[in-house]
Amino acid sequence: MEIDGNTLIFIILILFLFFSSPGGNGVTSQYEFNQISLFSQQLSTEYSSFKNQTYDSNFRNITGFKLSYKDIVNDPMVNATYPIDSKNYDQWYNNESYLLMPDEIINTISDSIWNYANDDETNIFPPIITSTLLGTINLKSNNKYEKIRMPISNFYEPSRDFSESVPPLGESYMDDWDDFNEVHNVSFPHGDIKIQFTHIDKVYTNLVSKKKKYFNSQDDDWKLLNVKIDFTDKNEKEKHTVNTFGIYDIRSGRILAMSESAKFHSLFSFPHYLGIGRNKSSQKEIYERAKKLITEYWETSNYVDTLTMGYLDTFYRDSEKCEFMMFFQLKPWNQYSKDQLKLIDDELKWPLGRPANLSHVPDVEVTSGLIYSPDCGISLSTKNTKGERYELKIRSIRFHLLCGIILFVAQIYLLLRQMQHTNTPSSVNKISFYSFCMINLVDGCLATLYFMSATLLPELYLPLILSAFSSFILASIFETRYLICVYASQVNERNVGIMTLLRGSNPEGDVNNERPVVIPDEASISSSLYGRFAFTLILFTFLILNSMSWPRNIRIIFEYSLIFILNSYWWPQIFRNAIKGIPSRRERERISNPTNRRQYKAPLLWKFIIGTTIIRTFPIVYFFTYSSNIFRHHKDIRFVVILSLWLLFQIAVLYSQDILGARWFLSQHTIPEGYSYFKPVSLVLLKEHGNISDPTASGATSTTSDHPVATTSVDCAICMSEVSVYVEELHETHNVDIHDYMVTPCNHIFHTACLENWMSYKLQCPVCRTPLPPS
Amino acid sequence: MSSKRISKELRDIERDPPTSCSAGPVGDDLYHWQASIMGPPDSPYAGGVFFLSIHFPTDYPFKPPKIAFTTKIYHPNINANGNICLDILKDQWSPALTLSKVLLSICSLLTDANPDDPLVPEIAHIYKTDRPKYEATAREWTKKYAV
Repeated sequence: MEIDGNTLIFIILILFLFFSSPGGNGVTSQYEFNQISLFSQQLSTEYSSFKNQTYDSNFRNITGFKLSYKDIVNDPMVNATYPIDSKNYDQWYNNESYLLMPDEIINTISDSIWNYANDDETNIFPPIITSTLLGTINLKSNNKYEKIRMPISNFYEPSRDFSESVPPLGESYMDDWDDFNEVHNVSFPHGDIKIQFTHIDKVYTNLVSKKKKYFNSQDDDWKLLNVKIDFTDKNEKEKHTVNTFGIYDIRSGRILAMSESAKFHSLFSFPHYLGIGRNKSSQKEIYERAKKLITEYWETSNYVDTLTMGYLDTFYRDSEKCEFMMFFQLKPWNQYSKDQLKLIDDELKWPLGRPANLSHVPDVEVTSGLIYSPDCGISLSTKNTKGERYELKIRSIRFHLLCGIILFVAQIYLLLRQMQHTNTPSSVNKISFYSFCMINLVDGCLATLYFMSATLLPELYLPLILSAFSSFILASIFETRYLICVYASQVNERNVGIMTLLRGSNPEGDVNNERPVVIPDEASISSSLYGRFAFTLILFTFLILNSMSWPRNIRIIFEYSLIFILNSYWWPQIFRNAIKGIPSRRERERISNPTNRRQYKAPLLWKFIIGTTIIRTFPIVYFFTYSSNIFRHHKDIRFVVILSLWLLFQIAVLYSQDILGARWFLSQHTIPEGYSYFKPVSLVLLKEHGNISDPTASGATSTTSDHPVATTSVDCAICMSEVSVYVEELHETHNVDIHDYMVTPCNHIFHTACLENWMSYKLQCPVCRTPLPPS
Repeated sequence: MSSKRISKELRDIERDPPTSCSAGPVGDDLYHWQASIMGPPDSPYAGGVFFLSIHFPTDYPFKPPKIAFTTKIYHPNINANGNICLDILKDQWSPALTLSKVLLSICSLLTDANPDDPLVPEIAHIYKTDRPKYEATAREWTKKYAV
């Protein structure tokens, strides 16, 4: 191939674009490039100021920490600049002249939050606390304290038009902004809090090569955490979310977490704030060790070089929110020695069956916590917030998933028994399509939800996929297969009204035999049913996923009504029984004989009804009665009782139909007369169908007949022998029992045994293929 | 029930044999028959005699009989094993059908193949695109196997 000049230039251009593409930091314009440079410049300056800081010096040029609470009290409109006149930068005390909090809050922290000095190490705290804690939060005060003014550098603002390349300089204050997107207050007195702790022990060293590296040389005593806190009012109308760094001091069980944003670079302030409530000498030690931790983190992760636009945007967006400083005290696990704790942690991380009694591992618990917002002046408190270790939670979810799989298998077994029980079209015909649709919808939806969660929770991939697979098999193979059978056996009822169905035949005036109904074959039924199944399933799954983000009270109404509706799955069957007029058990035993026994079976096995109800109610009962269930679903015994009564009532009605006959609750005159296959034949019909010789002429046709008397007979198309019929107008035929033959709505005549046998295969007239009403 | 009906059909076929077809049991087994079909004169199978084996199920006439060609035949709806793709032998079966009606349907299938629902797609393709070639091959096969 020859390469001319243009191609060469093109290739070089492509290669240039390829190699010069942004190094994963998301910069797309000159403006953003400048933003990132200013951002890293700002952080570098602050970091060097942090490095030069000693325990005995105040914060200098660190965003968010230029003022102290006292400065604001002295002059509410003071500007947060460095240096401030008459401010002493060369000493440090843990009081309001240096910290961002009033003395009252500082005293609360040292007296009632961080009150385990634990210098003699009598208390032992768990070294690894990855967990999700749940508890309540109370508002202490929201307008008692002064708000610290925190300026934001203007370069964070996104560019307004493409031509702009230099970000604006200077700083502005939140107070000057016109509008906030975020609530700047906490307006509820009590609410729920969720605290998630995750350990950060490895960091990416570089944006491109996704290598991870350990950085913490004091891993036994200090941990860097990722702390995510959500708190909301009981109705979930007002939500506050903080996702930030925290430092965990294992020796004293203290956790300090501070939110981070463009107006509050809290990472540099941890060393000073961790010393609150300690004596001077240990404050100094804590300062040095915390500083070492942050320095190691900063240096290993190449913090400044790995900044991205996404990070900058988050910083900017978070600056609209209140900043929060969170002081938590963990509960000691004094029942364990340090060695035992290590054993437990190892076993949780790499389960090998070590002798660690994992079923008795206590919850991670924050006994007391204080959350203070310096820029909004809010203080909140939380007590006894606790939750299982993450690994234990995963183990228990795995266990529950396995239980769920057992339920699925049991349901498959019951369904198979039920399918065996109804193995002919006429017995399947009595099954309600909609009952199984409801059951199928739930199973299908579970399968999709399991599949989705498998992608979200890699730790539980295997059990989730197994659960998804078993529910998928149940829903789309067995249940849909059964639905197809049911649908196929009922397809000739589609356009018929309820009253006609109750009567069990096509109305008199219906000219059904003039337009033969094409009964679709199974392939077309299954493709249309699978299509409907998939479509409903997708819609339903979307609805459920969407409902998770609805306000709490609407969500609860939705959940309750949905569970209630989906647990009404026996009603369609009750309705179906009534329509088909299934006779009572005694009646069925009376009329059945060995040849037609299968036509007089109850449509559903009792084993199937009871088993399915138990399998389907069990998970609901579990989630609504055990307050410590895996989804933290709230407890509501009353709902469970109502739901169980509702299901029991359905079963009771089914049972009463079995004993008393399916139509006992319908008064006799509301039920129209059913189509009767047993009726006298008119002479006109006989002549019309024509294959008879005149009975009065001779006994020629009755040579094969057993009756000595001249009978009027028609050929039965099934056994090809003659059927004697009862003709009103001919007296000599009156010795024929009208139950010996059947007349179809399309006026074809067969032996009773022949047609009933055929109707157990297909509800279609053998001669003209007109759909037949079930007898 | 089934044997009664089969013997009835046998009697009917003997009394009034359908045109260009004949059928009867093989030996004493009433459930296993053999049938022959003369190639319809207006088709490429003209002049050939095709043999079929017929097995009646025990629940006949509620299930269709199993019918297969034992003579090789070149046809879009009949494969090399002699299996026939005909709806009345499958899900469109009705107990009112008799063996002679089914044989007549097979006769008319020989005259008018149904290439839209083929059993052998290659033959169906030739049937649709190159009809003279199909007829020539069919005639050749008839000469080779059925005369």
